[in-house]
Amino acid sequence: MDIFIQLIYSGIALGMIYGVIAFGYQLTFATSSTLNFGQGEALMLGAMVGLTLSNLGVNYWLIIPIVCIFGLVQGSVVEYFGVRPAIKIKSEFGWIMSTIALGVIFRNLAENIWGRGTYRFQGPVADEPLKIFGANILPMEILVVIGAVAMMLMVEIFNRKSIYGKAVIATANDRDASGLMGINTSLVITFSYALSSLTACFAGVLIAPLTLAGASAGGSLGLKAFAVAIVGGLSSGFGIIVGGIILGISETLTGFYISTGYKDVPSLIILLIVLSIKPSGLFGKTTIKKV
Amino acid sequence: MKSKYLFITIGIILLSIFPIFIHNEYYVHMVERILIYSILLFGLDIVVGYTGQVSLGHAGLFGIGAYVAGILYFKLGAPFIVIVPLAIIIACIFGLILALPALKVLGPYMAMVTLAFGTIIQILINEMTFLTEGPLGIKLLKPVIFGFQTQTIHYFWIVLSLSILSLIVVNRILKSRLGRAFEALRDSPVACDCMGVSVYKYKVYAFVISAGFAGLSGCLYAFSEQYISPNTYSFELTVLFLLAIIMGGRKTRLGAFIGAAIIIILPQLLSDVYLFRNVATVLAAIIIVGAVILVSKKLSTFKKVFVPIASVISLVVFSYIIKSIGDWRLTIFGCMILLVVYYLQDGIVGFSRNFYISIFSSKNKSRDDVELSKLSNEDAILYAKNSSTSKILLNLKSVLMQFGGLKALNDVDLIVKKGTIHGLIGPNGSGKSTLINVLTGIYVPTSGNVEFSDKSIVGQTSAKIALSGIARTFQNVQLFSEMTAIENIMVALNHTYKSNLLEIALNLPRFKKEEVNAKQRAYSLLKFVGLNELANEEARNLPYGKQRLLEIARALALDSNLLLLDEPAAGLTAPDIKELLKIISRIKEHGITIILIEHHMEVVMAISDTISVLDFGQKIAEGKPKEVQANKKVIEAYLGAETA
Amino acid sequence: MLAIKDLQAGYGKVNVLKNINIEVPKNKIVTLIGANGAGKTTTLRAITGMIKSTSGHITLNGKPISQMPSYRIACLGLAHSPEGRRVFSSLTVFDNLQLGAFPRLTGSRAKGDFKGDIEKAMELFPRLKERRNQLAGTLSGGEQQMLAMARAIMLNPEIILLDEPSMGLAPILVEEVFKIISRLKSSGITMLLVEQFAVAALNVADYAYVMENGKIVVEGTADKLKNDPAIKAAYLGAH
Repeated sequence: MDIFIQLIYSGIALGMIYGVIAFGYQLTFATSSTLNFGQGEALMLGAMVGLTLSNLGVNYWLIIPIVCIFGLVQGSVVEYFGVRPAIKIKSEFGWIMSTIALGVIFRNLAENIWGRGTYRFQGPVADEPLKIFGANILPMEILVVIGAVAMMLMVEIFNRKSIYGKAVIATANDRDASGLMGINTSLVITFSYALSSLTACFAGVLIAPLTLAGASAGGSLGLKAFAVAIVGGLSSGFGIIVGGIILGISETLTGFYISTGYKDVPSLIILLIVLSIKPSGLFGKTTIKKV
Repeated sequence: MKSKYLFITIGIILLSIFPIFIHNEYYVHMVERILIYSILLFGLDIVVGYTGQVSLGHAGLFGIGAYVAGILYFKLGAPFIVIVPLAIIIACIFGLILALPALKVLGPYMAMVTLAFGTIIQILINEMTFLTEGPLGIKLLKPVIFGFQTQTIHYFWIVLSLSILSLIVVNRILKSRLGRAFEALRDSPVACDCMGVSVYKYKVYAFVISAGFAGLSGCLYAFSEQYISPNTYSFELTVLFLLAIIMGGRKTRLGAFIGAAIIIILPQLLSDVYLFRNVATVLAAIIIVGAVILVSKKLSTFKKVFVPIASVISLVVFSYIIKSIGDWRLTIFGCMILLVVYYLQDGIVGFSRNFYISIFSSKNKSRDDVELSKLSNEDAILYAKNSSTSKILLNLKSVLMQFGGLKALNDVDLIVKKGTIHGLIGPNGSGKSTLINVLTGIYVPTSGNVEFSDKSIVGQTSAKIALSGIARTFQNVQLFSEMTAIENIMVALNHTYKSNLLEIALNLPRFKKEEVNAKQRAYSLLKFVGLNELANEEARNLPYGKQRLLEIARALALDSNLLLLDEPAAGLTAPDIKELLKIISRIKEHGITIILIEHHMEVVMAISDTISVLDFGQKIAEGKPKEVQANKKVIEAYLGAETA
Repeated sequence: MLAIKDLQAGYGKVNVLKNINIEVPKNKIVTLIGANGAGKTTTLRAITGMIKSTSGHITLNGKPISQMPSYRIACLGLAHSPEGRRVFSSLTVFDNLQLGAFPRLTGSRAKGDFKGDIEKAMELFPRLKERRNQLAGTLSGGEQQMLAMARAIMLNPEIILLDEPSMGLAPILVEEVFKIISRLKSSGITMLLVEQFAVAALNVADYAYVMENGKIVVEGTADKLKNDPAIKAAYLGAH
């Protein structure tokens, strides 16, 4: 039983990370109806840059803002080279392929810089587990949950309260009309990519002490986070937290009770099932498109 | 056309005799792999090139084909001729399981879902050790056929003949009603549904067919490599397949072949850094020369060619900096995708074709033009079917259509009598187009009922409503723009076919006959609207007025009882409008009921039997043209109240 | 204020506008009327860069704006309330008004008395005051139209382009909209009004242009055109 609860705890922590990446998908999808297929690679880069800084002796709390800035730059690069030309020629195929290509390139770069191995990333808190309800929980897991929620809340508050955040929502609602209000909508889209990569890089630094950091860790994370975004709905902030937790727990349970090799399977099967029953996600709104 | 077939025949002969002269197994094997990949790419092109979906699951389907072969051979010792069809069928089944949920969603979702599928397959192959031997992999020998142990060269011929067979089958499918449906649903999904061709259903067809080819290809691959292991069927392979399709050129079989050759040969080039440097230099030279020609012929501007030139030059520099090339393979592939996606959108084949046309300015048509002279002229329009005695064809009962706080249709009642022309007018935003969209199932009304021939059609799909007898045209023309005029109509004639996939693939008599009939019907419909001379012209090249007429002809091909014309006169010149009026009355003569939305009052007033006027989502007046014209409410609706 | 010379524009290959010439003087309301599909909305879209013009000159206060992106034109003080209202449905009424003043709040345009202007706008459109914190998407059509107009005014603009404020509204609401336009007029606003309700538009405007098939066919003072039988014919096809 204790093990079961412990698995639930780690599932929640893992799920929150998926939630943060999924949140990044939501950001760009809202403003430009595009997604970064290399989102997982952004997370991986965040973790690897963080690791390098950590090895240089930089304090963990200082690493976070540096990695976030790196994320802003990385996201802008993806938008500028991968997405902007595709939006211009209105090619869906274009941005899907180019963000995939950029993801592949980033991964390959990382492999050449950091090698193919995986490394331990020392977290800021003790490694000794705490006991809650009789089960072990790592302090880092608590930190992950707090960090993830804090990040999503910060972005939400920014969007709801600041005039720039409202400009982001306005662009998401109606791009042309936003332009008429004096909002530079291409800049808003670039910004949403920068923000999206920032959240992913942040998630990378958060999760790395729990898992291991490695150049090839990105791909499956990006995919599972997409599953979360679909299960929760691409328009629901609450949905991705619930979706993240469901998938995170299903993954830790499968990993322990069946086999670690199968741990990714339930998320992907849930993804297929949700899509076939309710394509807008469990918490998403069905929108009627005007013809 | 003749020279094309000659070219293909020579190519095939060369391919089949080359292993006799070249004894190096390495090269034979390489060509064999190119052929095997081509088979998969033929299929992938149906999904990517024709229906315009991105599939990241084809490496998984390819893996299924390979493992079906591996498992059947290794565990059961099944013979080759049993394995091949089973590999195809099982891949199709998996394709169907994937397609049913995946194709409910659009573009990016579809890509992610197929990626998820591919990942699951790879995990399963890795983990289900009892079946797949897991990471150890499975060893196979070259197949034994009727007791005869084949050697490398025999197997090469088997692969060659199967790929030729695939080529023929793919070509037949794409030229048939299926291929037309695939292309149509990409050009305009809405119109496709409204012509009774269910977008979802045909997307699933396309995907399943494509999965079949992936299965065949995977199975041949297993026997060609004689060893299969899980790592092959990765995300990387999927990306390579897509690179091959877009680099070779979408919607052409030659492109698939070239693409396959590139992704097979390129890694060999990339294993040798010196060779890579030379190739990079030559490539740079070709692109620079090409760009210079384009700029000097004023076909492109310096600004446009700047990025490709800069990238090839940096590629050359890069090739001299790096020491080992293997580590950078993926970066190079990634850069190639970026380059191709934005600068070589039509792929190598498309680019060469455009280049050829622009240099020699001769039109080199890839389509088979329909030979017009052979087609007879019968009466194009069928008389409306009269199934019930009721005089009322369409009956709307308090229909409400709400978008958020907006009531686009507010409690609208409308009765349309059989055989009449019913005009529907009203100012902008009054709800006319919304009404048409409700009638054709694009919107489901918030409340109220729509009865057509005494049956409720609320909640039915657009395709089903179209097949039950409601045809329409669109306010902003929704033709299948890359298809010819006659093909546009043949898409709507899809309902006249009964032949199945097998009959199409084997070109059996029933299918042949149906195809001839459809062509004749389509031609006579074109003639009916006066477009028969333009039958082989692509729809997007037609003048605007003709496009509108083509839409009407296409709608007529559905053999419907009710025809909804949404602003057919918009953008037409005065003589065109006269012609249009004649066409509309002749349609009426065939007993077909028409609802006509139009802003050209002279048109509506001249031919309508009854006119309903909508304003702010409500019906404000109804009656004969003269009555409506004199109605005070109507005048106010159009010109505004005097008091304002 | 706003001058359009030999403007040509369209969608894709189709050229909708053929040599449009329009001038809007300061403190005047100029209306552009004509039947559906004549090219009125296209003209406005070409002015604010929503579609690129193929040739011609557009100047705002003597400054060329032809090839500028929409957002820069807005920063220069040209407010465009587009056809179909286009309010930001998942934001509140207040947020929508705030976004109308986006260039003022972000330093691209003199800030002025933002708070006072919000209050003024609410006074002008009392229905919005009641619904200050309601999501714009839940408003009725008439209220959305009010919001779209108020949002345009919040820019503190040099000129307003107002596209079909009456579209899809019940007559009583149309009346209300036009009352507000005449109140704006008395406060000295400059406006280019696109309308299909010719009579209402001519009642409130100083000068009018009539479009047909992408061309200006008639122009003149509003009073003169009001009694022109050609207009009724152009709309209703009556004789």
